[in-house]
Amino acid sequence: MMEQAITTYREEAGELLAELETSLLDLEETPDNSDLINRVFRAMHTIKGSGAMFGFDEIAIFTHEVETVFDLVRNGKMTVTKRLLDLTLKSRDHISYLLSCQIGEKVDRSRGDEIIAGLRQLLPKPETDGKKSTNIQANNGSPHSDEELADESTWRIRFRPATNILLCGTNPLSLINELRELGSAHVVAQFDEIPQLSDLSPENCYIYWDIILTTTRGEDAIRDVFIFVEDDCEIKIELIDRSGLIDKEGDYKKLGDILVERGDLSPVEMQKVLMQQKRFGELLVEQGIVTSEKVQSALVEQQHVKGVRKERSEAPQVETAASIRVPAERLDQLINLVGEMVTVQARLSQVSLAGGDPTFIAISEEVERLTNELRDTALNIRMLPIGSTFSKFKRLVRDLSGELGKEIEMETFGAETELDKTVIEKLNDPLVHLIRNSIDHGIEMPEIRRAAGKSTIGKVHLGAEHSGDSVLITIKDDGAGLDRDAIKAKAIERGLISPTAEPADREIYAQIFAPGFSTAATVTSVSGRGVGMDVVKRGIDGLRGTIGVDSIRGRGTTITLKIPLTLAIIDSLLVRIGKDHFVLPLAAIEECIELTTADVANSHGRNLANVRGAIIPYIPLRQHFRITGQRPDIEQIVIADIHGTKVGFVVDKVVGEHQTVIKSLGKMYRNVKGVSGATILGDGTVALILDMNLLLQSVEKLEHDAV
Amino acid sequence: MSVAGITETVQYLTFKLSEEVFALDVAKVREILEITSITKVPQTPDFMRGVINLRGSVVPVIDMRLKFGMSATEQTVNTCIIVVEINMDGDATVLGALADSVQEVVEMDPESIEAAPHIGTRLKTDFIKGMGKVDNRFVMILDIDKVFSSDELAELG
Amino acid sequence: MGKLIMSADDSASVRQMVSFTLKQNGYDVIEAVDGLDALKKLNGQKVDMLLTDLNMPNMDGIGLIKGVRSGTINKFIPIVMLTTESNDTKKAEGKAAGATGWIVKPFKPEQLIAVVKKVLG
Repeated sequence: MMEQAITTYREEAGELLAELETSLLDLEETPDNSDLINRVFRAMHTIKGSGAMFGFDEIAIFTHEVETVFDLVRNGKMTVTKRLLDLTLKSRDHISYLLSCQIGEKVDRSRGDEIIAGLRQLLPKPETDGKKSTNIQANNGSPHSDEELADESTWRIRFRPATNILLCGTNPLSLINELRELGSAHVVAQFDEIPQLSDLSPENCYIYWDIILTTTRGEDAIRDVFIFVEDDCEIKIELIDRSGLIDKEGDYKKLGDILVERGDLSPVEMQKVLMQQKRFGELLVEQGIVTSEKVQSALVEQQHVKGVRKERSEAPQVETAASIRVPAERLDQLINLVGEMVTVQARLSQVSLAGGDPTFIAISEEVERLTNELRDTALNIRMLPIGSTFSKFKRLVRDLSGELGKEIEMETFGAETELDKTVIEKLNDPLVHLIRNSIDHGIEMPEIRRAAGKSTIGKVHLGAEHSGDSVLITIKDDGAGLDRDAIKAKAIERGLISPTAEPADREIYAQIFAPGFSTAATVTSVSGRGVGMDVVKRGIDGLRGTIGVDSIRGRGTTITLKIPLTLAIIDSLLVRIGKDHFVLPLAAIEECIELTTADVANSHGRNLANVRGAIIPYIPLRQHFRITGQRPDIEQIVIADIHGTKVGFVVDKVVGEHQTVIKSLGKMYRNVKGVSGATILGDGTVALILDMNLLLQSVEKLEHDAV
Repeated sequence: MSVAGITETVQYLTFKLSEEVFALDVAKVREILEITSITKVPQTPDFMRGVINLRGSVVPVIDMRLKFGMSATEQTVNTCIIVVEINMDGDATVLGALADSVQEVVEMDPESIEAAPHIGTRLKTDFIKGMGKVDNRFVMILDIDKVFSSDELAELG
Repeated sequence: MGKLIMSADDSASVRQMVSFTLKQNGYDVIEAVDGLDALKKLNGQKVDMLLTDLNMPNMDGIGLIKGVRSGTINKFIPIVMLTTESNDTKKAEGKAAGATGWIVKPFKPEQLIAVVKKVLG
């Protein structure tokens, strides 16, 4: 279980570090913001405290230093400077490093020591030894392992609590019980200080106790019992008997008699004590303090209010936490089950429609409605706002622009836009690369910008918004823009574009994603090798997304990523060729039209269709997939928009819309171009999911090579 | 005379491809299915027969006869799919292999297993762990991880 | 039915460890993430004991203790504060506000249970 707490601590510390970074960056812009300063301090404090508790001593020790400095800032004894923020940001990184080390593993303290030295230099006066020891024992009344006196001793203990002791939540009786556990005890409660009822406050404790305790544990053990209250109460502990002194008289005297003999107890009080079996009310009555009617009335009130309060506390008042941590695998399990549910429900619908029983159909429709809602809700669980990714990039931009000597500001838009958690994770690397590119190759050096009439501060804009069932993410910079001609030239050089073709600007820009493509004259440590962009494209393709590039020379470049909202279940179109079924993702599909043998004859062997005057190329899938059997007279062309181009895919029959639960085909089919997965249909057979983009590419390549 | 690498007495599932008997370590076998509809994935070699639905998972099916240079498996009442779990590049992968019929599970102790001859089997020697004997017939014990290794399957695309 | 303890701490890992330790020993636990959250949950809900961190956002431990002590149903419950190091000023503030006792962080689970047993009886 400790494992789990440690894991949680790591996650929590990670989140705190992220929050810390954001606060520090914000603090840079508003150095006097006390709210931010407090947040920084608190983050440090929590990381330190919890760290020590879970064994991360290195973190506790290091963080303590930084916390000390920020405590001074908090108290107004130091101001926030760039140097301080730099050091604190570096501290954050060091803590992150420490966090990644295993407990007990040897850590590299050199960085940490450097940072601490730097921080110490910033302190307002020569440092007095402010290093508090972190080795505090939790000395909290846990039973002392005292030297056990070999012999028993008997103690007289007078415990007179402060009147308001109850208001500190202390229950004197539990203290007395603790004493009892030390040995054998006799307790006497004294009531003589209880005032008249009119003067009596039920919240006060007017009782004091005499306890005679025989124990082998020693005086310290007795003192420990009172550790929390010793400042507020009168505690007298006297040794009255030791087993070394043997009383030769056999039976010892009765407790009451002893006390009476000692003068601590008057005979009258002893009577009182002996009648302690009775309840307080009766005692009061007998003592003549309160009339029995008043006691009755008070008892009634007591019961009444107790009852009312009991009712109230039983009413559903339990608030659930605003959010709850769930291990990612559990979510995956849930999504899998939802997927199964969707599949089975499809079968249910099929069977119910085939059966024709109206009651059954109605129920099946209800199940369909619920399943859809379940599906949407479940998929929604994994949605997180992209904002946290964006904030990370702020740090990247800051550091990188500093490194390169450029002045760059980052703005973000749509941080609250939500995406599937896995998608966000997979987008991280591509986005990092695109931003680095903008900063390195896009935004110019300040002098060049000034000469061009632009502000010396370059802007990088990150935006996110929903569009249909996809998310659009834009990375825009106001830098130098792409050199269209250079790219075209390079592309022709590498055989990616034919010299005579007149491709649209967008297509030219799309060439930058080809592997190894780079028009950079120099390679910097950041980019230029031409390695990154095709990795970016592959990453985006892996998410079933698309990348579009627009640019105006001298003004800037905009890269638009379009990513579907979910990975696991997509709406598709179910089609049939021969006896095989395939599935095409619905998002890109625009329409379906008929293709007759006459049309085919008319186009003279070219796979082109005339759709309301426009020429649309199509891919005869039956042929492409070498599916055996007779080609039907009437086929269907499914027309889709792929990266701006309209392309048709010819199938025998369009069966209908289908909610596709995506099943991976596994490693073995990794290289198959055009099939990106499989799904299980209502009748249990497997249908293949087609990747229209890759199909198009492979057909292009085939036709190219054939020429 | 025994084979290095086979040190324990192990149970083997024997099955037939055409008339020859082969054997597989039972530990690798998940289950045996009756032949069911296989969805062919286009543009894949012939020995990759396609995929099937195994209780909600999509599992690839290989035609071992084709892989071993024989003619394609023809569906008869005895044809079945042996579902195995192998180690492919460090990951546990489940896939199915077509067999003309499944025989019995036998125990073979290491002493009775001989090394595979370098020629004469018409199969890559890598594929064969050793030659065992059952009822006086020779049985080729397959190293299933090698038969379905990613190199072997990399003939794709 | 076991005793009900509220654990207030802004650190999820501390809450988790405390919850687990208490539950293992037969107590029921309600968690709160800061003083304000704790007070909301205590409104109308009786607990047998409160365990609170001192350093929390929105309302810190001292504020929470004061709030509980000026309330009604939970006014007299034992309240134990979690402090770091032996920060005497904070401890004194806590006591003045009405805390019953304290535990110093870092603490071991056994120490926590010992203190809980001590104040709950």
